[in-house]
Amino acid sequence: MTTVTPDRSEMMRKFGLDRQNVGTLGRLLATGNIAQAEEGTDGHMRAVVRIVPDQLVWDPSILLLSHGGELDIEFVNDDQNTHCALVPSNGDSQWVWLPNYTRGTVHVTLDGPGHYWFSSNIGNDEGRGLIGAIVVMGDVPASARLDRPPQPRP
Amino acid sequence: MTTIEYRPAPPAVNFGSLTTATGTAPPVARDVTYERILDARSEPQNWLTYYGAYDGQRYSPLDQIDTDSVQRLSLAWVFSFAPQGLHAGQSTYAFENAPIVVDGVMYVSGWDGWVWALDAKTGQLLWQYKHAIPFDTSLCCGNVNRGVAVANGKVFVCTLNAHVLALDATTGACIWDVTSGDVRAGESLTIAPLVVKDRVVVGSSGGEFGVRGHLDAYDAETGERVWRCYTVPKPGEPGSETWPAEGEAWARGGGNCWITGTFDPDTNLLYWGTGNPAPDFDGEVRPGDNLHTDSVIAVDADTGEIRWHYQCTPHDLWDYDSNMECILFEQDGRKLLAHFDKNGYCFVLDRTNGERVRIFPFVDRITWGEITPDGQVTARIYPDKEGEDVHFYPGPAGAKEWTHAAYSQKSGLFYVPVQDTGATVARRRREFKESIPYWGAAVVVDAEDMAGSVSAFDPSTGQEVWRWRNDLPMCASVLATGGDLVFAGTPAGQFVALDARSGDLLWQFNCGSGHHSSPSTYSVDGKQYIAAPVGWGAWVEGFLPGMMGGPHGQAMMVFSLPEGVDSSGGR
Repeated sequence: MTTVTPDRSEMMRKFGLDRQNVGTLGRLLATGNIAQAEEGTDGHMRAVVRIVPDQLVWDPSILLLSHGGELDIEFVNDDQNTHCALVPSNGDSQWVWLPNYTRGTVHVTLDGPGHYWFSSNIGNDEGRGLIGAIVVMGDVPASARLDRPPQPRP
Repeated sequence: MTTIEYRPAPPAVNFGSLTTATGTAPPVARDVTYERILDARSEPQNWLTYYGAYDGQRYSPLDQIDTDSVQRLSLAWVFSFAPQGLHAGQSTYAFENAPIVVDGVMYVSGWDGWVWALDAKTGQLLWQYKHAIPFDTSLCCGNVNRGVAVANGKVFVCTLNAHVLALDATTGACIWDVTSGDVRAGESLTIAPLVVKDRVVVGSSGGEFGVRGHLDAYDAETGERVWRCYTVPKPGEPGSETWPAEGEAWARGGGNCWITGTFDPDTNLLYWGTGNPAPDFDGEVRPGDNLHTDSVIAVDADTGEIRWHYQCTPHDLWDYDSNMECILFEQDGRKLLAHFDKNGYCFVLDRTNGERVRIFPFVDRITWGEITPDGQVTARIYPDKEGEDVHFYPGPAGAKEWTHAAYSQKSGLFYVPVQDTGATVARRRREFKESIPYWGAAVVVDAEDMAGSVSAFDPSTGQEVWRWRNDLPMCASVLATGGDLVFAGTPAGQFVALDARSGDLLWQFNCGSGHHSSPSTYSVDGKQYIAAPVGWGAWVEGFLPGMMGGPHGQAMMVFSLPEGVDSSGGR
């Protein structure tokens, strides 16, 4: 498991914030694993996202894309309950049932940069932890940038 | 140990397929040409463009609903919508739309990249489009969008992550998608596009993040950018002498064009308001008048060149954008425009050359300074000492926010939604960093001692003719009709009809959520409807913090006389 800072990871575990029903009732959002989507030679990106048994968390819960574009996500429900996935996409969000022990693929198109949330929008899966982030990195095209000198960033 | 056999999940679907949307709209938009938009008021059954017509008057000659029959005005249908999952501006989304109607089809944009086509007679959802909006987009003033444009079979809409889209008006499918701005710089788009000739004109948002404002024209067929007009000049360009010669204040100067402009085909000029300079309240880092911020600019529709300008608040220190509408009208043979500014004054200009004709105040309390009838500006109260509070009227939301006034061709009067609210501001200098708010101040807007009104003014004198008072500031656009009515929504949720001649309250309906949008009117099969987008939110901390707790409730509420109402439809 990878988190942003080891100290934070230790604190999450110490107080039970990264598991179900220890510190709080569910688990805090975006406390799961981080992974980068694979990119084909055609620029099309692919990733596999699983639901961890009894943890109500996506694995990875933070999916990195190097740029905006086309993405296929194969969702795998390893849990013993039914969930689903609602994933933002230009044109219309994509939605798939994920009954116990099933695999389903969604195809989405996202702009970059910025980040988007996806979730299992049934029951209170979202509140318990089944909200994940798709983080699109990179910059907008040069044609869309302001005509000015480079400016300082935070 | 048992091996688990995984099965295929049911196929993924478009989330919109799990609604009652029929999937297609009649091809009514195919024949919406530039010529029809030019003559929009000759087809009052439609509301073809943002203000109803290029002149920005927000006036419809429809008169079936009049000062008598309005007593019977009833709800005809409601289109309601709510967020799914997490979205940007979770606490600030609002329904700021101005519904476009073409031959029985209503085209509506919502917050967070939503576009809907509705049956204008029944409210039936025909199709929907959803653009994915990054959760972390820089938004000064909430997750909002002010409307679409429709022409030649397409629906044009801007997105919060600074894209411009053309959608197929019959299906909602995306035809082209261009990136117009830089979200890493803090740019976004909230404006309703304006179609002029074969182009789509849009302006950028992001003045609170220290961007450089611009107005752009795109080819309506291809999405190719035809011209870009920066409102803040580079060193050496006209107006650059109003910025410091040293440093890069100009590059962060603001002046965004985030509200739709008006257009006169005779002058071939677009009349567009520009936003505040950045940083909003710390003028010491940008000495000079800071052109063309807080200005009315007249832009050549073919080339994007600024032909003339009139600056309403030189060297702004109060966040007094001038984005609000420029209403085009004629008087004594002169082609004029009227602009009700945040700074509390109305500017009547000759729209052929920008010459000042008349300036008059339209709100009771103006303490920031004074503008004399001959245009002399004197600043009196402003944040100039670090950390020292000053209190002034109007507050940063202005005596009138972006929401629009109207002009009735029947009564010859202007109708203005007025906000009378002050604010306390202390200058707090900060370094500029791209995408981080760049106000240069600590700001607290009053939540008490405020008032509002719809006020009627005689354009020939600037005299107030009547005033309908409201306890809370009026924060939504007004609509004037040939039925001698003025419609306006209140922050508390009341949608009211006023007598255009007297200001008397004739009718009201509690919509359950505040109004911060632009109602329109149209007719189908000879029956007149009034459409009011309802849904409180956005920059409430800026224009009415006393209603920060108001309900969001998002709905298109459509009213008509009760006879023959048909709100059937759906599966």
